[in-house]
Amino acid sequence: MSDSGGPDVTQELRLPWDDDPDDLYEHAPCGYLTTLPDGTIVKVNQTFLAWTGYTRAELVGHRRFRDLLSSGGQIFHETHYAPLLRMQDEVRELAFDVVCADRSTLATLVNSVLARGPANEPRAIRTTVFNATDRRKYEKELLYARKQAEAAERRVKVLQGIVADLAAAPTEAEVAEAVVRAPEPAFDAASSSIYLIDEERDLIVAVASTDPTTGNWDDMPRSSKRAVARVAERGDLHVVGSIGEARQHFPDLVDSMRKSGRNTVVLLPLTTGPTDEQAGTETLGVLAFSFTGERKLSDGELRVVRLLGQQAGQALDRARLYDDARLREERATFLAETTRELDELHRLMPRARRLVDRVVPQIADWAQLRLAVGTPGILEDAGAPPPAADLLAETEQRATGACVPVFPAPGDPLGCVVLPLTARGRVLGTLSLRMVPDRRGVEAERAFLIDLADRAGLALENARLYEQERQIARTLQRSLLAGELPHGDPRFALEAHYQAAGRDLEVGGDWFDAFLITKDRLAVVVGDVVGRGIEAATSMGQLRSAIRALAGEPVGPAKLIEGLDRFVERVHNGHMATVAYAEIDLVAGELTYTCAGHMPPLLQPPVGPPEFLLRGRSAPLGSKAGDTRRTEQRVRLPAGSRLLLFTDGLIERRNRPLDKGFEVLSREFARRRDAPMQGLTGGLADMLVSRDHTDDVCLLCVSLGTEERLERSLGADRAHIALLRADLRAWLVGHGVEPDCRDPVLLACSEAVANAIEHGYRDNPFGTIDVVATVTTDAVEVRVTDHGVWRGAVADVARGRGLQLIRESMDQVMFDRSDGTTVIMRRSREGR
Amino acid sequence: MTDQWVSFSKVGDAELVSLTGEIDLANSGEIGKAIVGRIKESGKVLIDLTTVSFLDSAGVRLLDALVGDLLGHGARTRLVVGERGAARMTLTLCAFREDVLTTDLERAAADLK
Repeated sequence: MSDSGGPDVTQELRLPWDDDPDDLYEHAPCGYLTTLPDGTIVKVNQTFLAWTGYTRAELVGHRRFRDLLSSGGQIFHETHYAPLLRMQDEVRELAFDVVCADRSTLATLVNSVLARGPANEPRAIRTTVFNATDRRKYEKELLYARKQAEAAERRVKVLQGIVADLAAAPTEAEVAEAVVRAPEPAFDAASSSIYLIDEERDLIVAVASTDPTTGNWDDMPRSSKRAVARVAERGDLHVVGSIGEARQHFPDLVDSMRKSGRNTVVLLPLTTGPTDEQAGTETLGVLAFSFTGERKLSDGELRVVRLLGQQAGQALDRARLYDDARLREERATFLAETTRELDELHRLMPRARRLVDRVVPQIADWAQLRLAVGTPGILEDAGAPPPAADLLAETEQRATGACVPVFPAPGDPLGCVVLPLTARGRVLGTLSLRMVPDRRGVEAERAFLIDLADRAGLALENARLYEQERQIARTLQRSLLAGELPHGDPRFALEAHYQAAGRDLEVGGDWFDAFLITKDRLAVVVGDVVGRGIEAATSMGQLRSAIRALAGEPVGPAKLIEGLDRFVERVHNGHMATVAYAEIDLVAGELTYTCAGHMPPLLQPPVGPPEFLLRGRSAPLGSKAGDTRRTEQRVRLPAGSRLLLFTDGLIERRNRPLDKGFEVLSREFARRRDAPMQGLTGGLADMLVSRDHTDDVCLLCVSLGTEERLERSLGADRAHIALLRADLRAWLVGHGVEPDCRDPVLLACSEAVANAIEHGYRDNPFGTIDVVATVTTDAVEVRVTDHGVWRGAVADVARGRGLQLIRESMDQVMFDRSDGTTVIMRRSREGR
Repeated sequence: MTDQWVSFSKVGDAELVSLTGEIDLANSGEIGKAIVGRIKESGKVLIDLTTVSFLDSAGVRLLDALVGDLLGHGARTRLVVGERGAARMTLTLCAFREDVLTTDLERAAADLK
């Protein structure tokens, strides 16, 4: 007994029956073989014979152990078993497949011991053979399971990679690219292709493939009988295991499977959710992948395939939303930019032009804007080629008639969108667009176009209103400026000029006025109201009227401006307007002036240089911060003086200091001291104001008193004859010369000047002609001098008639050719 | 361009050319062209000068040429000039043909009937 009280195992227990050693050898639970050192079997037990099916006679003395092994086993026997045994005298647990009598193999594990003789020579090999069939099967299963696990892991890795790619793919095209690359690494597929469903066109379109030489790439309607369309409709995974199966279920696959050597095709719908939850699941496309050789997919693989379908479907769904969102964003940007760009232009025509220029080519390849504004209306187009005019006209009529946008139906021969443009309940016209057809987003696109039409309509309506307002302001201003200036009084002459700001700008607030306060007191005014448009024109009208109402003999300029200040306060209009106001006493020859924030008047005395009248200054009307103590200044105004009132637009230029502007104006005014009054102010403006001026300009010139002598110097230009005549007529009237004398003198003077131009300066357009007229109580004398070359063409009929007229009109005509040619003409004031 | 000095209308079957303002060397050429362009084919032409405020020798030259042309191809013509005024004065001083001058538009029209 052992210490523990259990049986003592160091001694054999006695069995309850007799154990025969022979029987134990023959029927042991393992095979026994005894062989000679060369392997020849000399003894074998029954167990081995039973396992292998050989008889003892077949083996003993006839076969070596190695002869019983499979060919691989024989090699192993030679390379491992035999050398090991010789070196170690034993080998353990070597696996051999024993070939049985019926050629089946028996998996075994072999232990051998080499028995040696007294001289250490090998004598026999004793071998036990264990049946390892079950163990081998188990090992195989283990191996298979490991392989399966590895494959599943690889698939999962591939799938994880794909999912990451899908998450990063922002567009439908990129999702398709990522998905189509999945089946090859994941399932060892030979190639794959992806098809997407275009819901709006009801088509299925192949978008990507790893081997574009396989398969059918035509678009197919969703109702097609083709396998892809069927699977898309059903939304179920289909595995076509063989060409036979294909022939049975999807005959359209047979050809392409044959051609590309494919035996198995998997058709996987790409769905927005698990396919077993039909509700709310949408199929967005189909992934097709195929294998060379018939390939069975394990349940695990099929699960992964389905998962791929869902992941891809969800990524597609997201990308579609993203694509839509991006398109919407692009459209929103376009709308915002269009609105802004249209706002930059105020006038209608430029706005209309800009609209079509923005639309083409950004969203359309042809566009036409038709506006029923004015006659004959506005028509702008861009792009080419234009569609059929009759179809377009008909559609435009339909759109404006019903006031609804017309979108082209599929196959519409016109193929244009026609949008009615409306604003404030009024149809302005139409915007017609021919757009490149887009696969998707028709609804969103329509909403976008309607939005575009709304904005365009409003922008164009605003421009139309702007034009209208501008026109009203122009008309108002013109009516205020067009009032007749006093004339016919020989003691003074007035000449005014108004020039609107450069093209496309609103009317400004410059104005002039002149009126007689009494028969001997003349008021002249030039002013500038802040702002533009109707408001400025209105303020200007109010101030102009207020000045006329306030002016009176005992008032004077300073008091008048004080009155204007009160007026401005009361009507809340015209604040910061500037005014130069002057009263001229026609009897005393005295000027009283004041400048409320305005440019100083420029006075040209009969002799000497012109001077700016810089006194009598105070702040603009209604000014809060400026000095509003109104003052006035008196200066003598000798006969022959000219006074110029003007607004800042005349001399202000961005690239020139104001001092320089004053200087240039003074010089130009002096240079024209002998120029006829008519056209003087216009000429100054032409000279001084740049072509692209941004401010309006207003000038008023008054010439004082009747000159004793009329002295004029004019260019050799036919157009100047009329200007001279105007001055001469006014001068003659001023001196009380009666029409009976006046008209012949005007005629003779005109003829003499015409002669000088036509003949004296025939070859010199830059020559000047001096005219001096004097009057006495009984006669008028006019001298016309030129420095040209007279040719002795006395026979010239035209010249003859001119000279005849001079002689007929005047009492005395003389020619002095000592310095150029002077015609001296006299006529008595008495009737003849 | 010449609209401020010349306008055209009809009196019965006669072409009426109305001149106004100052006609001188500077504008007579243009005015002449405008008139000739209009009355080339006319058989009866009235030229109204009653509101002309100035007429110089170039204007007379123009009228002379016009009347000469019209009479030359058998057209009938009259100039309407006031009793007094600048145009009458110049035409008188030039000794223009009295037979084509009348003082009254209606009488001139009747003359051409």
